[in-house]
Amino acid sequence: MTASASTAKPLTVRGLAKQYVSADGRVVDALLPTDLDIAPGEFLVVVGPSGCGKSTLLNILAGLTTPSAGEARVGDVLVQGPDIDRGMVFQDYALFPWLDVLGNVEFGLERMGMPRRERRETAMRYLAMVGLADFADKRPRELSGGMKQRVAIARAYATDPSIIFMDEPFGALDALTRRHLQHELLDIWQRHRKTVVFITHSVVEAIYLADRIVLMTARPGRIKSVIPVKLAHPRDATSDDFRSIERQVYRDLDEELAKSFRMEGHAASAAPAAD
Amino acid sequence: MTDAHALAGRKPRSFAGRLRSRLARLLPYLYAAIGVVAVWWAVVLVFKPHMSLLPSPWLTAQTFVQLIANGELPRDAAYSVCRVLAAWVLSALIAVPLGFAMGRWQRLERVLDPVVELFRPISPLAWIPLAILWFGIDEGGKIFVIFIGTFFPILLNTIAGTKSIDPVLIRAGRILGCTDDASLFRKVVLPASLPQVIVGLRISFGTGWASIIAAELVAARSGLGYLISNGMEVLRSDFVLVGMVTIGALGVLFDGVFRWVDARYNWIGE
Repeated sequence: MTASASTAKPLTVRGLAKQYVSADGRVVDALLPTDLDIAPGEFLVVVGPSGCGKSTLLNILAGLTTPSAGEARVGDVLVQGPDIDRGMVFQDYALFPWLDVLGNVEFGLERMGMPRRERRETAMRYLAMVGLADFADKRPRELSGGMKQRVAIARAYATDPSIIFMDEPFGALDALTRRHLQHELLDIWQRHRKTVVFITHSVVEAIYLADRIVLMTARPGRIKSVIPVKLAHPRDATSDDFRSIERQVYRDLDEELAKSFRMEGHAASAAPAAD
Repeated sequence: MTDAHALAGRKPRSFAGRLRSRLARLLPYLYAAIGVVAVWWAVVLVFKPHMSLLPSPWLTAQTFVQLIANGELPRDAAYSVCRVLAAWVLSALIAVPLGFAMGRWQRLERVLDPVVELFRPISPLAWIPLAILWFGIDEGGKIFVIFIGTFFPILLNTIAGTKSIDPVLIRAGRILGCTDDASLFRKVVLPASLPQVIVGLRISFGTGWASIIAAELVAARSGLGYLISNGMEVLRSDFVLVGMVTIGALGVLFDGVFRWVDARYNWIGE
């Protein structure tokens, strides 16, 4: 695979916050003002409990949600909406079921105005990248979950964005497929050197993939700590270095989990009929 | 689903194979027709009803051939089909865009939904008197009745199809370059809801076909409904039966066309 045309750009987050009004009229802080600098080509993994605002953060960065305050910039460009320069891989694949595999990968290329023949060649190249060139004329429903997510990865890379967001992309896969796709993704990332912002629940997955881990806390969502992972790839989950980072992440995480469960318990005893 | 599973289970591709599976699908219709004719004939042989009440299948078949030969049946069938087609196309032109709009914009749906629910239970037949008063006994009145009969199935299915689109597909579309409403509609909303829209178009053609006959029974000088009501007035029950059989046969035929279209454009699966 040749090097990508678009160079990775830094992602700068300044004071980014999101509030929303809940059904009963209360103002909820989904994300407290957040600062974050993501280096070009970095593999950043965001870990945190459910409801910690990590998906909110990702959706704002992707331009699918507008922030209540603050801003995010890719290079010099302010994020103001979705842009073909920022790709995304969703947990439930989000393949278009009425298109075949090739059509799915071509979708963004067509929107960019790429001529048919070039589009086809480009899409086939990226399908080959994820090992699915032989499945170009299959419908998504004919594929397994792991194959669907590989198509989605090919689709996200095909438009050659400078940054790719991944929202728990392997969350719905079985453990073996997940491990295989982690290998594959690392391989693709090392060859293309695109900035990747990756969300997961899995601490092991985070340490396996990340240059840096951003640990977020729930209610309200904010960044608790940033943990660099300076281990060479491929990483061995049984090594002492890996384990020590794991301990560090869990220490921070457990603190927060205990806090959030205490809050839930408190809320439950205050209003036993709720929920 | 495993990878092996994904590769298996394809339909037979050869021409002979397809022909055989198509014939196999037609067989139940053939059995049904043979059964109905057998019972009919048995009733005629046992009870020997007067010809004006129930003619034999053989006599009815002769009348059928005769009405085709003198051009009366093709003319009546063509009238009925054209009326249904005209009203159905008119319905689709209004109900499909309206359905997309109501499915997409909640505020519009909140306003219009009570109106739809109020008018929906009123049978198209109940509109016949007003249709005649407003549009006369010519084509206008009949087309109006069919319009009522075809409108709601199209509208409701289009709304349902639009609302049932997985939101993640909309987000994927926006991420992949559909940044304005028009392109998002064309590339995501329309193909995603198309199967359900086709279901609505198919159902509504059926209801339209059923209501044209009713409209023609009341006030018409042409059409299959007229053939039937006229047959009753001149005591020719063979005319009535020919009209009924033709309605059934054409109904099955049109439904077959829709099934074919559906199979071509439905991405939901076999």
